[in-house]
Amino acid sequence: MKDQILQTLHDLRAYALLKGVEAMFFYHEEDSYLMRFANSAISLNTNEHLIRLEITAYEGRKRASYELITDLNKLGEMKQGLDIAAEMVKHAQPLSYQPTLPLYPASFADESGFDSTLAALSNEERLAFFNEAVAGLETDEIKLSGIFSNGSNITAQIDTRSEHTQYFRTSDAQVNIVLAHSLLKWEITAEQSAYRKADLNPQSLRRDLAFLRERYQNDSPEQIPLGKYDIVFGATAIGDLLSIMNWVGFSGGALKRGYSFLTEDQLGKKIFSDQFNLTDDPTRLETFPYQRDIMGLDRGPFPVFEQGVFKSFTWFQDDADEFGVAPTGHTVMHKSLVISGGEMEVSTLEELVNLPRENDLLYIPFLHYMNLVNPSKGLVTASSRFGALLLKKDGSVVVPYNVRVTQSLLDIFGEKVAWLAKNQVVNNTSSSYGARNPTAVIVPAFMRVNDLEISHSNTSY
Amino acid sequence: MQKQLREQIERLKAAGATYVDARWYPVEESNQLTMWNGNLKNAAASRESGVGIRVLYKGAWGFSASSDMQNLNRLFDKAFDNARIAAERVTFPIRLAEKDAIQATFNSPNQIDPFAVSLADKIAFLKEMDEKLNQPGVAQRISEVTFMRKQIIFIDSEGSEIEKNIIEAFPGIQVTGLDDQGVMHSRKFSPARLGATRGWETLDPQLFAENAERIVREMNQVRAAEDCPKEDRSVILLPGIMFLQTHETIGHALELDRILGYELAFAGGSFVTLDDFGKLQYGSSKLTARADATVPNSPGSFGYDDDGIPAQDNLLIDKGLLVGAITGRQMVEEANARARRAIFNGSGGANRATAFYRVPIERMTNINIDPGQDGSLEDIVRNTEKGIILDGEKSWSIGSNREQFHFATDIGWLVEDGQVTKVVKNSTYKGATVKFYNSLSAVGDESTWEVRYVDNCGKGQPNQIMQLGHGVPVCRFDNVRIGE
Ligand SMILES: [Zn+2]
Repeated sequence: MKDQILQTLHDLRAYALLKGVEAMFFYHEEDSYLMRFANSAISLNTNEHLIRLEITAYEGRKRASYELITDLNKLGEMKQGLDIAAEMVKHAQPLSYQPTLPLYPASFADESGFDSTLAALSNEERLAFFNEAVAGLETDEIKLSGIFSNGSNITAQIDTRSEHTQYFRTSDAQVNIVLAHSLLKWEITAEQSAYRKADLNPQSLRRDLAFLRERYQNDSPEQIPLGKYDIVFGATAIGDLLSIMNWVGFSGGALKRGYSFLTEDQLGKKIFSDQFNLTDDPTRLETFPYQRDIMGLDRGPFPVFEQGVFKSFTWFQDDADEFGVAPTGHTVMHKSLVISGGEMEVSTLEELVNLPRENDLLYIPFLHYMNLVNPSKGLVTASSRFGALLLKKDGSVVVPYNVRVTQSLLDIFGEKVAWLAKNQVVNNTSSSYGARNPTAVIVPAFMRVNDLEISHSNTSY
Repeated sequence: MQKQLREQIERLKAAGATYVDARWYPVEESNQLTMWNGNLKNAAASRESGVGIRVLYKGAWGFSASSDMQNLNRLFDKAFDNARIAAERVTFPIRLAEKDAIQATFNSPNQIDPFAVSLADKIAFLKEMDEKLNQPGVAQRISEVTFMRKQIIFIDSEGSEIEKNIIEAFPGIQVTGLDDQGVMHSRKFSPARLGATRGWETLDPQLFAENAERIVREMNQVRAAEDCPKEDRSVILLPGIMFLQTHETIGHALELDRILGYELAFAGGSFVTLDDFGKLQYGSSKLTARADATVPNSPGSFGYDDDGIPAQDNLLIDKGLLVGAITGRQMVEEANARARRAIFNGSGGANRATAFYRVPIERMTNINIDPGQDGSLEDIVRNTEKGIILDGEKSWSIGSNREQFHFATDIGWLVEDGQVTKVVKNSTYKGATVKFYNSLSAVGDESTWEVRYVDNCGKGQPNQIMQLGHGVPVCRFDNVRIGE
């Protein structure tokens, strides 16, 4: 398969050279399986095998691209794609800067994140995993939802500047399980990410679900009062906050276009809590990493924040070209973001609930529908969902109805941070829009932030 | 190809499938151009073709899709195998509501095919807009157009064969600028749908030029404005935000698959229950909402849905009372059975897939609010004591059951004693859905009603992006919290 893909790319390059077109070819192949559950049944069971080819043609400062869904046996169709891109670029308008076409110094291939047994899981295995993860937890009222998504992904590149290629192959799985009470409307969730089959562990999901289910079944829910709370965010909530910061925080392009809450004069200054360390670390295979970017730059651990001090923006090549900045190796489909663990010895929800506490703690595992109210201030808003708990200082536990948090990332990761859990968790942040792009971040299992405001409290879930 | 697909469908029927359909996309094309501060950052086109197969077996769905149509046997077998394993975990065996077999063609109305317009002409349009937007105070200026064209051939095991040819054009311009504290503000324009057409001709340079001037002026007013106060006021929503309010808190809340719990793992549920149909006072008596797939010029109209059901105009909320939902063949059967009463009389024709490689799910068509009796925008402002006019979607966040929401808008104009007094920045409002719609105190007449489109509605797993529309008037809601 790999040889056939690379040969196709070489054939396309030869065709572009023959036609006198400067071009880059980006190959994407996915084999995607998704078993979806709802109302305790399999509501959808689907498989898509898709090959996409994106062809970008260059002519001086002009650039145009053409993408097609195709097959390896359709070389003629792919060549026609090059012809179309070449025709488009003639009519394009020159950019105000010179776009960079990669010059790969040598061919590169990375399959270290590929496990054929994970990529080729059978329907029976997906179903058996789910059945084990929820064994004994469903009732007539408590219904199972969720997904078991797994597959394999290949990306490969060549361009007319050299005959060298880049090739990346990964396998991935994302499991989300939701148990929801059809009458009371509460919902709890547990999730897992894997890059190899050995990482799949239905029993650990079952343990988390069973613990929360016990709480939600036996504790009566409350509309909690508005006001300030010490909030403990769970890994998924931290992952979501990190993903939005990746978008409007340390991206150089966002900065230059006024979409960032960070500024150039903040480089080297302390912005966040000194417990906050953020690295883009492509050595962590759990993040489905790219060890080289599309431009052929080597990628290693890249500090973004160290002890709260802002170390660097990350640059996509096109932004670096436009704004005359040195690229940082971040022209990738996704980064490999890792927030370091902190000092607090707490790994599981059960341990969190049993921690001695001097104040009430509001545990929010999941932030639903986060959006940016004000990018320049890092102001985000979202609602709690899926298994929030109010851990009272007297040791009791209350199940709260959903609440809304509208806060700045500067506060959430700033001086109000009380502690981060030592234990880190892989949070799969893949979305299933468009081409498969398995993505995960590694974050502390919990993060406590004091004195955050709840701006809305529901009268029901 | 149709003959081969029909043969495969018959083969699976003979092998025991209850129902089979194929959606063959001979061609789907798109063309996207983005000019950012004068730079043609994106000049992209795409093309795909392929087929998606849906098989119902022992009450469960299986699906498979491929762009490779050489081995149809394998593709159909894969879909059947996927259904077989799904049939091992069935709680409510899927049934499909009755329908008529249909042989038909639908062509979206357009005068000029945007794919026949030269790239040079498209770029010239963007360049003209970019120059209009290049004014003092503007930090970023964006002009963009997206064109889509798809041909879909639908064949099912119940004798339907439908061809759809759909063209869409989505143009827009936007400016941003920073205030003296370095906070970014923006204003944007995309045209309401005028006339019964959807092609290149909807890009009216004169209309865009006028609006380019307006959005620059308004963005500069916002940059110099004071902050939106934090208090309760009447909010007057212009169509440029009312469409999204409708989308998020009527449209998504009334998708029947959400109501039945089929989206719980991802997008969420709905506060609406089956008991609520015919009983719940969703809004004040001024609120009438409908799912109307017959609006000619909107992407929410597509002739026949991906179950092969013809376009319909269905009431959702009748003078405040909840009466209908956004439905497809599968969900209406399950809802009626679960409710033990016939809430829905057949499919509402709203089952759609975004591409050949995705399965159809309930999607909004055109979720519209009927115009009301409260006159023009000026009339509504004149009759408002303490209010704020809001426009332009900036941010939106909605509770998982659509029970509450928080929106930020690009601009706000304070209203005091029937007069617009000043522009404010960082305007936001929030509320609880049913309470909010029951505070609806004025609905503008036809002069305020506009058809807006949404080209990026996300739903489902694997995720699907859908295009649809909203015809909405100016609406006023009372005692709403703003500025938080
Ligand atoms: Zn939507």
